[in-house]
Amino acid sequence: MTQLLLNTLSLGAAYSLLAIGFVLVLNATGAVNLAHGSFVVVGGFLAASLGAMLKLPGAIVLPVVLSGMMLIGGLLSLAAYYPLRNRPAVSVFISTISMGAILETATLLVFGPSPRVGPPILSGGSLRVGDAVLNVQSLSTIVLAIALVALQYVIFSRTVLGKRLRAVAEDREMATALGVNVNVMILITFGISAALAGAAGLIFANTFYITPGDGEAYMIKTYVAATMGGWGSLRGAVAGAFLVAAFEVLVPSLPVILPWAVGALPSFGALFSPTASTIWLYLAFLVVLFFRPQGLFGEAVQQRA
Amino acid sequence: MLRSAKLRLVVGLAALCALASWPLVMSSPYDLRLFTLAGVFAILAIGYQFIFGYVGELSLSQGAFFGFSAYVTGILAAKAGLDFAETFLASIVACVLLAVLISIPVLRLASHYFALATLGVGQVLLLLAIDWQSLTGGAIGLSGVPLPKLFGVQIGRGWPLLLFVWSFVLFAAIVAHQTKRGLYGLACHVVRQNAVAARALAIDPDAIRFAMFLLSAAIAGVAGALHAHTIRIVSPEGLDFKVMIACLTMAVIGGRTHVWGAVAGALLVVHLPEWLRGFEQSYVIITSSVLILILILAPEGLAGFVDRILPVATPERTSTVAASSRPSNLPAGEGVLMPSETPILAIRHLTKTFGGVHALNNVSFSLMRGSITAVIGPNGSGKTTLVNCMTGIYRADAGEIVLGGNEITSMSSDEIAARGVGRTFQNLRLVEDMSVLDNVAVARFRSEEASLGKAMLTGRRDSRLERARSHALHVLRQFGLDKIADARCGSLPHGIKRLVEIARAICLDPVVLLLDEPAAGLNESEQAELAGHLEGLAARGLTLLVIEHNMEFLKSLATHMVCLDYGELIASGRPSAIYQDERVVEAYIGRRHAAELGA
Amino acid sequence: MRLVGRTVFAAALLLSWSASAEETSLTVPIIVPITGLLALEGTSQLNGANLAIAHAPPGLKIKAQTVDSGTAAEGGANALERAVGDKNVDFAVAPLFGTQVLAMLPVALENKMPILAPTGTGPVTEQGNPYMFRLYPHDAISKAAHIRYVVDELKLKRAAILYNTTGYGQSGFKYMSDYLSKLGGEVVFSEGVDLTAKEISATLAKLKAAKPDVILIQMHSASIAMVIKQLAAGGVQIPVVGNTTIAMPATAALLQPSDLKGVCAESAWWLEKGANPMTDRFLDDYTSKFGAMPDAYAIQQYDGLMMALTAVKSGARSAEDVRRYMSTSEYQGVAMSYKSDGKGNLAHSVVIVCYDGSSLTPKLVKRYDDVVAY
Repeated sequence: MTQLLLNTLSLGAAYSLLAIGFVLVLNATGAVNLAHGSFVVVGGFLAASLGAMLKLPGAIVLPVVLSGMMLIGGLLSLAAYYPLRNRPAVSVFISTISMGAILETATLLVFGPSPRVGPPILSGGSLRVGDAVLNVQSLSTIVLAIALVALQYVIFSRTVLGKRLRAVAEDREMATALGVNVNVMILITFGISAALAGAAGLIFANTFYITPGDGEAYMIKTYVAATMGGWGSLRGAVAGAFLVAAFEVLVPSLPVILPWAVGALPSFGALFSPTASTIWLYLAFLVVLFFRPQGLFGEAVQQRA
Repeated sequence: MLRSAKLRLVVGLAALCALASWPLVMSSPYDLRLFTLAGVFAILAIGYQFIFGYVGELSLSQGAFFGFSAYVTGILAAKAGLDFAETFLASIVACVLLAVLISIPVLRLASHYFALATLGVGQVLLLLAIDWQSLTGGAIGLSGVPLPKLFGVQIGRGWPLLLFVWSFVLFAAIVAHQTKRGLYGLACHVVRQNAVAARALAIDPDAIRFAMFLLSAAIAGVAGALHAHTIRIVSPEGLDFKVMIACLTMAVIGGRTHVWGAVAGALLVVHLPEWLRGFEQSYVIITSSVLILILILAPEGLAGFVDRILPVATPERTSTVAASSRPSNLPAGEGVLMPSETPILAIRHLTKTFGGVHALNNVSFSLMRGSITAVIGPNGSGKTTLVNCMTGIYRADAGEIVLGGNEITSMSSDEIAARGVGRTFQNLRLVEDMSVLDNVAVARFRSEEASLGKAMLTGRRDSRLERARSHALHVLRQFGLDKIADARCGSLPHGIKRLVEIARAICLDPVVLLLDEPAAGLNESEQAELAGHLEGLAARGLTLLVIEHNMEFLKSLATHMVCLDYGELIASGRPSAIYQDERVVEAYIGRRHAAELGA
Repeated sequence: MRLVGRTVFAAALLLSWSASAEETSLTVPIIVPITGLLALEGTSQLNGANLAIAHAPPGLKIKAQTVDSGTAAEGGANALERAVGDKNVDFAVAPLFGTQVLAMLPVALENKMPILAPTGTGPVTEQGNPYMFRLYPHDAISKAAHIRYVVDELKLKRAAILYNTTGYGQSGFKYMSDYLSKLGGEVVFSEGVDLTAKEISATLAKLKAAKPDVILIQMHSASIAMVIKQLAAGGVQIPVVGNTTIAMPATAALLQPSDLKGVCAESAWWLEKGANPMTDRFLDDYTSKFGAMPDAYAIQQYDGLMMALTAVKSGARSAEDVRRYMSTSEYQGVAMSYKSDGKGNLAHSVVIVCYDGSSLTPKLVKRYDDVVAY
């Protein structure tokens, strides 16, 4: 039970990194970056190959992964966003999907089709606290995610760069009028977003392994988390990420957590199979939207106009 | 313009010939198979344009309908052994029913939520298809889907199947064309660009979105059923997000609202990877790069690209329509401005609160037939809120609005508009990429009783559209705008746009017209011209409510005036009396003076 | 030694090349998924096929044509339809992806084109299609051996079954649970996990709560590695008998030897250096060419393609000739001997291999030849 809770938290923490990056780009550009899942793949493979080459833990490889991903994120924005910045948002939708396919195929060509295992953030193994056995990777995932989110927060709220980045996200025209170079800021935002996703890739590559085809599943989860929380809300993205994680770990664990329910309802197990839990997630999403059409943390809009 | 029209015709014919000769030239069974598949996806993309193109909603459930229909066909044909006619109809009906079910919670959502909710539907179906093994055959799928058999005749592989599928492409294209060409298509365009404006023209955007969503689903059903018969197996891959992405790509690459764009997009998206198969894995990179390149070079899709090189020539419709309608040349009605004492629209105790702040507090007044009532008040005094409550955009918290004898307080915008309350907007809400004439003509949607069913049955001549345009031209002529009837609205100067918006509202044949700051942004001569027009309208019995800041403009125009301050009605009466009213001077003019002094 | 062997081989090849005055030219379409979620298995299949072409009997001039079948159901069928247009094509290598093979079957039948696929999954040989040749043991066979080992050798009957919700996983689950109940066993817990699902701690918690005495698995590479890793991390001591992907070198590379201690797997192949020159040549050339040990898909594909090439070598001049040879002859491959059972199932041997916890290479513990389905 403790381990399940810990797994939920660490999964949610890692998804938060993805969702925050996704929302940062969303706010800066108004466009959905569907190559976000591919960032996880590229970051994961970077971490895995560096880890295998240098035999170093993830925490030490991390800066290299972050900077490599910033570069890739920036390049992606130049290729898939910049030329289409004044076009309808669906154009960016398609161009980022295409870029995602390019990134994943390139990964496949460079690293081959085998799944890879990344280095643990600190070390593998587990800690014994009382009678609970806690996985070190799960704990360090939570710590790393908090550290990165805090870093992102400090950059955005305490630095001149961050103020400019936020100005672009809030009102692009105003930012231009104030002399902020909007295009550079968007490039940096893409870089930060890719770096956060790359960090998630580093975490996942150890916990779950990584294969070149993993991008789509991570993409859909990120999309669900960011939307459920409220379009454009960072707090909402984090909440959405933990919700998605809960539906992945806690909901399918209900038969273990509530053994009496299994006795009372013979089909209780089937109701909370992994497949059924995913269906519950989407139903929950619909229910959330039914009562709060603006998502959990979204701002109420008067009416669709 | 004329040369471009001829060129378009030539290019169009050439493209048609190329399309027809494609399978003749590349006629190996493999080529025929691909061409057949391209046809299936062309149907899917044409169907997708109804929801994605014509009303501009990013739906991500088109792939789900496609896969769902394939499963219905697969299960009924392979397991139950039913005939094509039965399975085909069942697949389409099943898709439409599913769409109805989905649209209840989903269709009212704002765009991103709508996109994800529709995506979720597809994911749920995918999981069910994998998990419900007894019915669907599980992850490996259900094989043994027969070739279609129609009236006892088996449609063979190769040419027969190709022609069979492409006849449905033609069918889908005709449905799309019929939907787009008339008043209904114009209404879709308005809904896509500006749903609020649509409501003000008595068009119900929800009804149109609903119809388009169902039509999309139905045509996806056609495509899905044909796909099952073409590849002879149904499997969860048909419900995969990749199918949705392919469909979206076809629509965007081809052009969102051009039927032939969808066909071109489908041909390209199906064939491109096949042409590049020699590159082993790298073909994915090349295909994706080509798609990005097309997006960059042809932002509006291939169809938009062609439009840019060879613009659509505007036919000489103005003169033909004009010839059929000579508007009577009534005098502008100077000196006959005689408002009656009959209240046509009464507002009683209207209250509207936003987060605890009274935007309107217990406001009551009436509009007399043929009067020009001005609502004045400082910024934030609740003027626009008043108009929005009167037109159903906001729902009042208390009080009532009575039009004639009927209460309209809780009616929807479009219902209120249909009952004769026209309006204009403070920030213009015209459809920029539509001609002036059509912007105005679309106001006839309700009067002409346009509907999807009628659009389908329209023959060569669309008499509804002709009547609507003729009516619109008549109104435009009253405003002296008939010469620019064919111009795109987006290209017009601000002052003209104001007039066009008023003309559009007039075209609705309203009983009451609400004008929200009509003089804003106009110079003095334009203001004088506008005032003349408004007086003329009132002289012919139209009741006007004008919200304005501009006292000069109102001075000679208004027959009655009310003043709002902090949501409360502080004065009501003849303009001369209002100008003298201490509270008005204090609240409005005085404060403004103070502000000006301060500045 | 290896170098000498290769030189000799190359010389032999060169000699045969110049010696054969009359060459039969042949195009071999290799239709395999090399992108998407099955790229790992598809690439193994491709490697095996490519090696078979390199090892082709002398006198054949072969042009290989690799086509990605991708992820769409019709990917394989489109490619096959294109391949049959080439008159030099007498048979085609088909994907291990069962859905794609099912979609290819009508095309194969209409064009009378034999297809060879290393798929174990359910219904592909149950369509009455004489052009379908299955290189991998039918799940009905491999799972029979799988369960026999569990019940007869390990004497364990309370099983938990984990499987991926793919055609492969669902088919394996179906046969395992059927056979187990026929042999008096009981499935105390079972759960299908999506191939893209990552977090499986809930499933494992439920599994532990069901207290099985053996865990049976039918999953793809990354999923199965995750299960083994988490079981080891959680200190679960229940014996694991899984499917062939545990024995894949790519899977083992994701784990520590200690994680794999006591883990067994059903597989179609068992190759040991020094058994015979043919096997040695295969192992040496494969590892030197692709830098990895071969897995079941590579081996079965190699054998199957070699069998078809032997058919051509022994005089098959048309697709029909190849079909006749494949459905009537017996062929001794590196992994086993192949003979059609009349439905196109060529492979009938299954082995059980186990890891001892000291290395990432499993050891053979039991061999089942000519297994019949229950």
